Amino acid sequence: MLAFIVQRALQAILVMAVMSVIVFVGVYAVGNPVDIVIPPDATIAMREEVIRRLGLDLPLWKQYGIFAWNLLHGDFGRSFVYNMPVLELIGGRLPATLELVLISILFATVVGVSLGIYAGVKPDSLLSKLIMGLSILGFSVPSFWVGLILILTFAVSLGILPAGGRGETVTVFGVPWSFLTLNGLSHIVLPALNLALFKLAMMIRLARAGTREAMLSDTVKFARAAGLSEATILRRHVLKLISIPIITVFGLELGSTLAFAVVTETIFSWPGVGKLIIDSITVLDRPVMVAYLVLTAFLFVMINFTVDLVFAAIDPRIRSGRQSA
Amino acid sequence: MSYMKMTAISGLIALVAGMAGAQTLTIGVRGGPESLDPHYSALGTHAEAAKHIFDTLVWADENLQIAPGLATEWKPVDDDTWEFKLREGVKFHDGSDFTAEDVKFSIARPPIVTGPTTTAIYVRRVKEVEIIDPHTIHIHTDGPAPSLPYDFVRLFVVSHTAAADYSTPETAPEGFNSGKAAIGTGPYKLVSWEPKGDLVLERFDDYWGGPSAWEKVIRKEMPNDSSRLAALKAGQVDLVNDVSSADYLQLKNDASVDTFLGDGIYIMNLLLDQRPDVMPGVRAKDGSALPTNPLTDIRVRQAFDKAIDRETMVEIVLEGLGKPADQGMPPGFFGYSDKVEKPVYDPEGAKALLAEAGFPDGFEIDLYCTSDRLPGDAAICQGLGQMLSVIGMKVNVNATSRTVYFPAQSRGEYSVSMNGWGTLTGEATYTLGGQMHTPDKEKGLGGFNRISYSNAELDKLIETGMVELDEAKRRAILENAMEVAAADKVLIPIVQLQSVWAAKAGTLDFTPRTDGDTLAYPIHPKK
Repeated sequence: MLAFIVQRALQAILVMAVMSVIVFVGVYAVGNPVDIVIPPDATIAMREEVIRRLGLDLPLWKQYGIFAWNLLHGDFGRSFVYNMPVLELIGGRLPATLELVLISILFATVVGVSLGIYAGVKPDSLLSKLIMGLSILGFSVPSFWVGLILILTFAVSLGILPAGGRGETVTVFGVPWSFLTLNGLSHIVLPALNLALFKLAMMIRLARAGTREAMLSDTVKFARAAGLSEATILRRHVLKLISIPIITVFGLELGSTLAFAVVTETIFSWPGVGKLIIDSITVLDRPVMVAYLVLTAFLFVMINFTVDLVFAAIDPRIRSGRQSA
Repeated sequence: MSYMKMTAISGLIALVAGMAGAQTLTIGVRGGPESLDPHYSALGTHAEAAKHIFDTLVWADENLQIAPGLATEWKPVDDDTWEFKLREGVKFHDGSDFTAEDVKFSIARPPIVTGPTTTAIYVRRVKEVEIIDPHTIHIHTDGPAPSLPYDFVRLFVVSHTAAADYSTPETAPEGFNSGKAAIGTGPYKLVSWEPKGDLVLERFDDYWGGPSAWEKVIRKEMPNDSSRLAALKAGQVDLVNDVSSADYLQLKNDASVDTFLGDGIYIMNLLLDQRPDVMPGVRAKDGSALPTNPLTDIRVRQAFDKAIDRETMVEIVLEGLGKPADQGMPPGFFGYSDKVEKPVYDPEGAKALLAEAGFPDGFEIDLYCTSDRLPGDAAICQGLGQMLSVIGMKVNVNATSRTVYFPAQSRGEYSVSMNGWGTLTGEATYTLGGQMHTPDKEKGLGGFNRISYSNAELDKLIETGMVELDEAKRRAILENAMEVAAADKVLIPIVQLQSVWAAKAGTLDFTPRTDGDTLAYPIHPKK
């Protein structure tokens, strides 16, 4: 087990290092951020002063060296645009994204798996067909458009939910959370729903396919023969049998949604990291881009690692396989 | 819940909302500041936010004409000295008095704490600040500097005591963003701010111009145009800026929303590179190289000018949100000339000129422009491409992100490009000195001349205009410079952009500003 953890940690460091090199070289290839932000009547001397101050006059390898050296000391550097420590900038906005993503993924998983199991158990009922039909819609309609329709319907026409922004927050452990207030919850409903739709559709399809297969398995046959009620069989055996692919997808989706909730965040003016990173890209704010992508790589590695541990806990076959290896 | 109860509660909610609405102004803006340090960035949205908390030494009114701000009057006392009289009885938010010390401190500060969008430009002419008495200062410049009052339109005054410990690049953001040093003399006090989030302000009761009509002002950053408008319709915000041309068309027929249309400072220009032998993206129609750069031929440039149907560009491409432009600056700005010939749409004449220049069948060009910087930039670019094809040119339109456009343009990779230019200071030397003067490191001019244009006559006019202290003479010189610049057609103005604000019908008195700033102080609730 220890070897497994060490191996994963090394993998994480390698991914992060490669990531930072790619971003450094990529931004360097696009051009000098100074060309985008410098005011038109700045003199050439001022331009050079800015370049020198940002350290962009140094050769690329030297710029990277300084970055790596500071990183080893826990310093991601300062944003070119905001002149704030990058970690502070990202950290200030992470809770907003985190709560939005967690709520939407949990919603998608709980509702999606329930509906999927129902559709798997009763594949021919009218409701099942309706669920499956809607799941196709969830897949195929672009979330950008859905977001605008949600705003037009619930905020503009009906006027029952706010059109965007984050509501009141309560500070717990020094971090502001909005899902703890009524006002905050009302703000989170629409963006969370918007973000959840695609995942909901996927969870429904995964759970249905898994359930249909599991219902034919020996486990279920024997459980029925033993006289267990259908509800117990579903809860105790089917759910367990279909959980491996669902957890895998849950982990992957959690990561990708955290990193790329940008469309929803932009439409709903949600002050999360997605908006920050897109803006940083348009002005080539390299420190923010590098730090964000390095952290994202770290996040993915950690989620995959956790998912592996969860597998081992749920499925004895995986656990024993690892022990013998 | 009974019907009665529901009505009672909704009535109560409406009442509370109404009461809060009378005192709080919530504005949905497209972009916000990068920091609360007013000396950090020269960006328009940055200065716009700063104007709520801080005052500038000289004020720019809604038409960008200079007016008294924290300085009540100014005059040159000799060739390189300006005297500024400061307003008396002005208080900072912390109760301290505004004096000459604060001005001196605020002039010294920008070059030290500025970010990449450098604010050092506003004080570049200052050599030394001499305090004569607490409300009089002499500013010694490096030679005659008639445009100094225009530069000081963006010179924000901070408190020399509150900001004393927060005036290095390392300490400034922390001090100002936390509010400790964000002490100004402006109409609002800072409550809180988050990057890309909300800027919350409250009324400063001792403001020298009289207290604001609003007890509380919230500026919400909402970058998406559709969401911002939806927030207005949902009643979440009272006013939004930068309504897109497509939305404007709909809103005109919507009785529940008032729209405000204002002229903007941005002019869209077609830029034609003047290097004789280098011509990336310019070739004969069969793909072969041309012996010399055809864009250096005035007849080719005149042909391009005649090919542009500016009326159509405004009516069809911009849905009416613009005006045809004939020079690089909007009418009424200092140096705008009435004598510049109005461009005429004449495709036949254009073809004849092309033939005369040796291109009866035209040639091929790559036209580059930004797609995400100014409203309608990509659409204008495509329209331009089509209009040039009408006179026989083969045009490849490339609308790219400004992230790609600006670095590539500065590397000289574009021979034909289109871009917007805003005359932020309201005065011609800014526009001419920046993009039309021969690039000159010593003089600090031509920093944005990306087309290697050099005209000795124009250079001379710009340079004399920059040092002429007599206002009438100066105006005449700059108008003449505008005429010379327009005649050469290396920079072909196409349209002046307009911007649109929207508010719930009958709620606000709002006057658009030419610089596009959305300032809370001049806004009043409609009675």
